[in-house]
Amino acid sequence: MLKISHVVKNFENINALNNVSLNIPKGEFFGLLGPNGAGKSTLMNIIIGYLEADSGQVYIGEEQISPQNIQLRKKIGYVPQEVSLYLELSAYKNLKIFGELYGIASKKLETKIEYVLDLVQLKDRKKDPVKDFSGGMKRRLNLAASLLHDPEIVLCDEPTVGVDPQSRNAIFDMLSELNKSGKTIVYTTHYMEEAERLCSRLAIIDHGNIIAIGTLVELINLLNRKDTIKIQKTALTQDKLSVLREMGMVNEFDFYFELMPKDGYEKNSAIFGKLEEMGIPNDFIQISRATLEDVFLNLTGRSLRD
Amino acid sequence: MRTIIRLVQKDAARFLNDKRAVILTFLVPMVLIIIFGNIFGGDGGTRGKASLILVNESNSIVAKLFETKLDSSKALLPVKTYVAENGKDSIKFDEETAKEWVRTGKISAAVVMPKDFFTDTSTAIKFKFFYDPKNEIESNIIQGNMQQLIFTAIPKIIPILLQRRSISYLGKDSTSQFMKGIGNVVHQFYGESPDSFMKKWTQIDSASLFSSPKDISSEVNFMSNVIKFDSEQLVGKKIINPGLTRSVGGWAMMFLLFSLTGAATSIFEEKNEGTLKRLLCMPVTRANILWSKYIYAILLGVTQLLVMFIFSWALFGVEIFANFGNLLILIIASAAAAVSFGMLITSISTTYSQANGISTLLILVMSALGGSWFPTSFLPGWMQVISKGTLTYWSMEGFLQVLWRHSNFAGIAENVLVLLVIAFLINSYALIRFRRGII
Ligand SMILES: Nc1ncnc2c1ncn2[C@@H]1O[C@H](COP(=O)(O)OP(=O)(O)OP(=O)(O)O)[C@@H](O)[C@H]1O
Ligand SMILES: [Mg+2]
Repeated sequence: MLKISHVVKNFENINALNNVSLNIPKGEFFGLLGPNGAGKSTLMNIIIGYLEADSGQVYIGEEQISPQNIQLRKKIGYVPQEVSLYLELSAYKNLKIFGELYGIASKKLETKIEYVLDLVQLKDRKKDPVKDFSGGMKRRLNLAASLLHDPEIVLCDEPTVGVDPQSRNAIFDMLSELNKSGKTIVYTTHYMEEAERLCSRLAIIDHGNIIAIGTLVELINLLNRKDTIKIQKTALTQDKLSVLREMGMVNEFDFYFELMPKDGYEKNSAIFGKLEEMGIPNDFIQISRATLEDVFLNLTGRSLRD
Repeated sequence: MRTIIRLVQKDAARFLNDKRAVILTFLVPMVLIIIFGNIFGGDGGTRGKASLILVNESNSIVAKLFETKLDSSKALLPVKTYVAENGKDSIKFDEETAKEWVRTGKISAAVVMPKDFFTDTSTAIKFKFFYDPKNEIESNIIQGNMQQLIFTAIPKIIPILLQRRSISYLGKDSTSQFMKGIGNVVHQFYGESPDSFMKKWTQIDSASLFSSPKDISSEVNFMSNVIKFDSEQLVGKKIINPGLTRSVGGWAMMFLLFSLTGAATSIFEEKNEGTLKRLLCMPVTRANILWSKYIYAILLGVTQLLVMFIFSWALFGVEIFANFGNLLILIIASAAAAVSFGMLITSISTTYSQANGISTLLILVMSALGGSWFPTSFLPGWMQVISKGTLTYWSMEGFLQVLWRHSNFAGIAENVLVLLVIAFLINSYALIRFRRGII
């Protein structure tokens, strides 16, 4: 359905995309996970034809994306990272304008507008100017505006940034629903929880490179250990921390340190033994399943949030 | 084309929702037209007189003559008294108070006729004039009118002054001999008796001074006979409000430049708001967007100009319908050129605020040089040459042709052509840049 082939994009002295290739089959919920500045939005911009790649091609089905091929754009619904709406106009008017530009006949457009407003639960606010909406409502409308023309592929560029949990869940449900109805979805995020929850397959992107690709299970399987050990900060003194560092790689988070044990400490029992020796009570230790966060840490040596 | 029309509709909807833009585009120009319409008030009665303090300390009958002339002046309003601090009594100005008033800016000028303004022995009349040139136009009006006043009164006293001068140079005897000689010559040629002639020349009495010009024999009223202006107004005779008719085009062009540059630079707004990107991932091309902005801005400009002109017509009788076809052609050409200016600004700037800064500066300069604010003939020669490089000049001249001279299309063809060529060239350039994605 969507094929990205050897795409390179440079901005002055920044290498934003470095030979990126992806193949996303029809019906997939594909995640693109990467930290800030990884190149996610740049890749999206190239897929929609807003930016031109320095080299490489993008295909939708058999057709190649190009500035001339404007009909091909009807197959894509793009949800920009920023709210991209006419704020002084009403929700309805925005949808009407965009629908007409897609060439949807007016009668059909009316039912379409009703449908998408229903989908994002903004029906009762359709007459209000968008500037009076809450952040979450704007985001939902931003999404709705990209669905009017019934696109085959929906590209979402971090659609939940700055959104309250309620709107967030509404967006997730909606996208899952769309995916079930057969639409291909490409979803970028730097929240690994989102990627884990939604995506059937995902790629991890960093500094313009795809560093891993696969299903959640496949990616977790890249790790030697499938679980992580977290120790509360309050339980550790400086001396104990240096002992911990000898046991493996230690990453600091807000309230805890995460230990990635090195050889000799593969078994949890070995670790617990050592920690008990150091006088750290069990209550301060937590074992949890590895996440994409750990995969990213393992691949790059950095945290996703850095 | 359907896409472009929809984009234009979109811009129009956005404009109508933006109250500030609507006010700036239509209301502010209307307010200015009201102000200018009143300044240049057509019927003359609406324009205020320039006031000045008059202090008359002289007992001379000649001083009385000036005072009467000043009282009946159409342009000057003499102020002779002021209200005392108790708020009741009115006090006559003296020289010191008059000077104080001018110094403190309460009034622009004061004229004093001192005690020795004109005495039995004066060889000259003596005014004291105090003024504050804070407002050059006002000072000029006052000084000019004072001079005019004096000159219309002078023929009646000049012979006396001349005679007294000659006494002081030649002595009394020689002068009376000289006068007698002239009297004889006059008698010889005109038949008037030397005595009556002498009396006419040397007597100052209220009867001869205050008589109206018709009664004065022509040889006395010589000033107006020596220099004769045979003037005939050839243009704009029947125009109801000449001041506004001449200036409305210039102001219109300035507002047009502001509003249309705003319309053109709204591309930046759309870029910042992200809607440009959204449009571009729809079946919409960059050229579609640029053309839609262009057409929308021209429509906005034409509406703005029509509203301004119709408003000037309704309120101040600026005659627009006599030559409406040509006016419309000129309005469209001006709007096209003004948008292209906006497009140029858009294509050479990288951000909205940059575009805003550059355009404000350029529009003000063009308006000043091009004749929006004052006639270009006020400018030094080299500036008049630069003036011809401004859009304002060509459009303003065109409006003058149409509204003032009621010229036919041939009279504005050059202006329309220049405006359209500028529009075409700049727009092609902007289109190329926009297509390349530079904007
Ligand atoms: N128009 C541009 N000009 C110059 N550099 C750019 C431009 N757009 C993006 N970049 C750079 O390219 C890199 C990738 O940016 P991009 O926006 O694709 O990141 P991202 O993965 O979407 O990040 P985020 O999660 O913050 O949205 C960054 O280093 C960014 O600074
Ligand atoms: Mg991004």
